[in-house]
Parts: sequence; C-alpha cells; structure tokens
Amino acid sequence: MKSAWSGFKAIVIKDLVIELRARQVLPTMIVLGMLIVFILRLVVEPSSGRAEMPMMAAAALWIAFLFSGLLAQERSFGVEQQNGCIDGLWSAPLDAGTIYLAKLLANVVILSIFEMVIVPAVLLSFSLRVTGRWLDLVIVLALGNLGISSVGTLFSAVVQLARTRGALLSIVVLVVLLPMLIPASFALLVLFGAMPEEVGGSGTLAFVGSFRAAQGYLLAFDAVFIVACWLLFGVVVKE
Amino acid sequence: MITETVRSTDVALSIRSVSKAFTARPVLRDVSMTLRRGRATCLYGINGAGKSTLLRIAAGLLRPDAGSVSIEGRDVREHPEEAKRRLGLISHASMAYAELTVLENLRFTADLYCVSNRAVRIEQLLAETGLGPFRYDCAGILSRGLLQRLAIARALLHEPSVLLADEPFTGLDVQALEHLIGIFETFVRQGGTIFMTTHDTRLGLRCCDRVVVLDQGVVLLDKTKKEIDPERFAEDYLSYARSQN
Repeated sequence: MKSAWSGFKAIVIKDLVIELRARQVLPTMIVLGMLIVFILRLVVEPSSGRAEMPMMAAAALWIAFLFSGLLAQERSFGVEQQNGCIDGLWSAPLDAGTIYLAKLLANVVILSIFEMVIVPAVLLSFSLRVTGRWLDLVIVLALGNLGISSVGTLFSAVVQLARTRGALLSIVVLVVLLPMLIPASFALLVLFGAMPEEVGGSGTLAFVGSFRAAQGYLLAFDAVFIVACWLLFGVVVKE
Repeated sequence: MITETVRSTDVALSIRSVSKAFTARPVLRDVSMTLRRGRATCLYGINGAGKSTLLRIAAGLLRPDAGSVSIEGRDVREHPEEAKRRLGLISHASMAYAELTVLENLRFTADLYCVSNRAVRIEQLLAETGLGPFRYDCAGILSRGLLQRLAIARALLHEPSVLLADEPFTGLDVQALEHLIGIFETFVRQGGTIFMTTHDTRLGLRCCDRVVVLDQGVVLLDKTKKEIDPERFAEDYLSYARSQN
C-alpha cells in the first residue's frame, strides 16, 4: 500500500512538473479553447441575438473542454514514449490501476487549470451570469472534467500503439463520451438560464428531466467509467 | 547445454519453455535456461534472433505465448510486483525524462520503487556512475554516454538482485565502458545476477561467465566460459554472424 501511494504521488508530481516546465500542452489548450469560444461568439452575434447566447456558451464550453482535453490526454502517455520511459513505468513494481489513477489525477489537474481560464472567458464573452449558483457550476464542471479525463486517459494509453494516434483518440473518446454530454449540456443550459430547472415532454434534453437528475447522471457516468477504466487499464495496455 | 544441477535457492532467473510469435512469425521457440545467483550470462545473436524479446519477457514487459519466467521463485506474470522489485532493467533507451534533471529522474525512480534510504542511495549511485557533476542538468541535454550512465544508475537504484541489460555498452566511450564493466563486476561480486545482450563478443566474454547464442529463437549454444576457448568463440561467432547477414 505504501509503495503504491509512493508511486502514485511520484507519477502525478512528475507529470505536472514536466508540463509546467515544458509548457507543451496548456498553452495549446488555452489557444484552442479561446479560438472555439471566439468563433462561436462570432456566429451568435449577427443572427438572432441574445436568446441564443446561453446555448452557444454551453456548446462552446463543452466543445472547448473536449478538444482541449484530448490534447492533454494525448500528451499524457505521449511523454512516456520518449526515451522508452514507458518501459520504465511498466517495469516498476506498481499495478496498472495505480498508474491509471495517477495519470488520471494529473490530467484532471491540467484540465482544471484550463477550466479556470476558459470559464471566465466564456461567461464574459457571452455576457452570462450564474449568480448564486457558482457551487452548482463548479460541481457540473468538475464532474464533466472527471468524465472526460477518465475515458481520455484510458484511450490515450491504448492509442499510443496506433500510428493514427490523435485522430483515433478523438474518434474513440468522443463516441464514448456522447452519453455524458447530454446531461452535461442540460446542466449548463439550466445554470445559464436557457432552460427551466425541470423539463417534461420528449426530446434528447427532456429525457434528462431535471438539473438534479443531470448531476446524478454525471456522477453515475464518472463512477462507472473511472471504475471500469481502472479495472480495464491493465488488461488493455499490456502489450 | 549446461547440465549442472542447480539448487532452487541458487536460482535467480528461471526461463521455462518460453515461446513467442509476432503475428505469424515465431521469435522464440521453447527457450529454457536457469541463471544462478552471482553469475553473469551474455546472450548473443544476430539482429532478429530474439534476444531483446527474451529480455522483455523476462522483465514482464511482454507476455509469452507459452512458458513462464520467474525471478527468485516469483513468477513474473503471477506475482509481477514482487518479481519486478527484484529486477533492474537497462534497455536500448535511457528511460529518462528529458524535462527532468538527473537528480529528479533518480528521485522519481526511487519513489516508484519506494526506496527507503532515497537520498543516500542516490548519492551513492551518482558517485559510482560519475554523474555527480551533472545532477542538476536536464536529461534532455545529456550526451548518449551520460544518458546510458543515468540508465544504469536508474536500474541499480532499488538494489535489484537481477539485472537485465539489453546492449548496455551502446554509445559509451572507453572510459565510461571501463566504468560500467567495473559496476557490473561489483554487482556480480555482491551476489547479483546479470543477464545481458551484446553484439560485442570481446566485451561480453569479459563481463560474463556464461554465453548463450540464440539463432532464430532457438538456443544454439549454451556454455560456461570455462567450456569454451574465448578466442575461438569470438572468431566462430563472427563468421557465423557474417554468414547469416
């Protein structure tokens, strides 16, 4: 147990130190995120005006998280490919699950730093207010971050073996994350005032039902995927 | 083939009927050998003979299609953590993070292996490998020779009992080479076991007391140094290697 904790801590600190020192991913993530926000903001202005702002803002946030997150996750195991570091990691007396959890935490921290930059940018660009619901916003974003990172971390290790790394990672992760994006979008639309707290009837978002249910779905998705990826990691990455 | 009886407590590394194929091409065919404590074995073979694959299987980095490997009685697949704790690995690559300094790379490895006397052990290895003056240099700016020294320090940090070295002399100058041979000799003298590959018959014979030649995944020759004439072996191996290319 002590050795697993020591290894876990070492991998997290190592990944964060490398990222902060090399500054390879965060600046690229921020530039990409800002571009996505800027383009979507331009699209909404000349059309119907303010009514579409919250919808576009929610879309801008999740698109920015997804694609910028993919950059971080691809780098997560990409850094292990240089000088054969991946062999050093696999030959260490650590179980694969510990390596997965350490990589996941490092990815969550990097995506959180990105969120701290991009969320205020979105709120300002789209002139949105979430007065009194900051905690709900933080919870929704944290749950989204965990979901994106849990799936992305697993598949970034898997696709390192493929020649079409980046493209393959995007396709696989986006498909797997689709069920999470429905309640995630619903929750942000409620927080941005584009939808009521509870929705009835038919349609993709109405299926979620309410803001609390959306949070529940996100929590369930995260729990299922973190446990599944943790268990699967050793099986899928060996060889 | 070596047929001497080996007591189970003397066995450091046991490879039993290991076979491996990549797609349809067999790389190792029913390879078996037992390495005793305090001995060094050199594995020879031309490119593609299966040397690196055998070392990677022994390190638990590759799963054999058949057979098993155990380190001091611990099966590498069934008890990977216990087996890997006893194993040091030097490969073609340095396994060092370019963005981290020499010291940080060693600290990271020490934490992966949960080395208790981390600072003392790191200082010892920095002195032994001559990396002391380079401790605050990022691995990314080190020369090939210095990187190889870092790889050696990294492999010995947790005081393994078995050292797997895949062409450890690559890129080393004469001084570094002598230094490494000295480290290997000390390691073996202290009861460690070395299983290494090299193309250099002279260096291999100098470091090891047993030679194994792999040919197309099959053990072609397995002799102790006493059983062969080193000069003759070097000549024969060279002509064999030329005939295969």
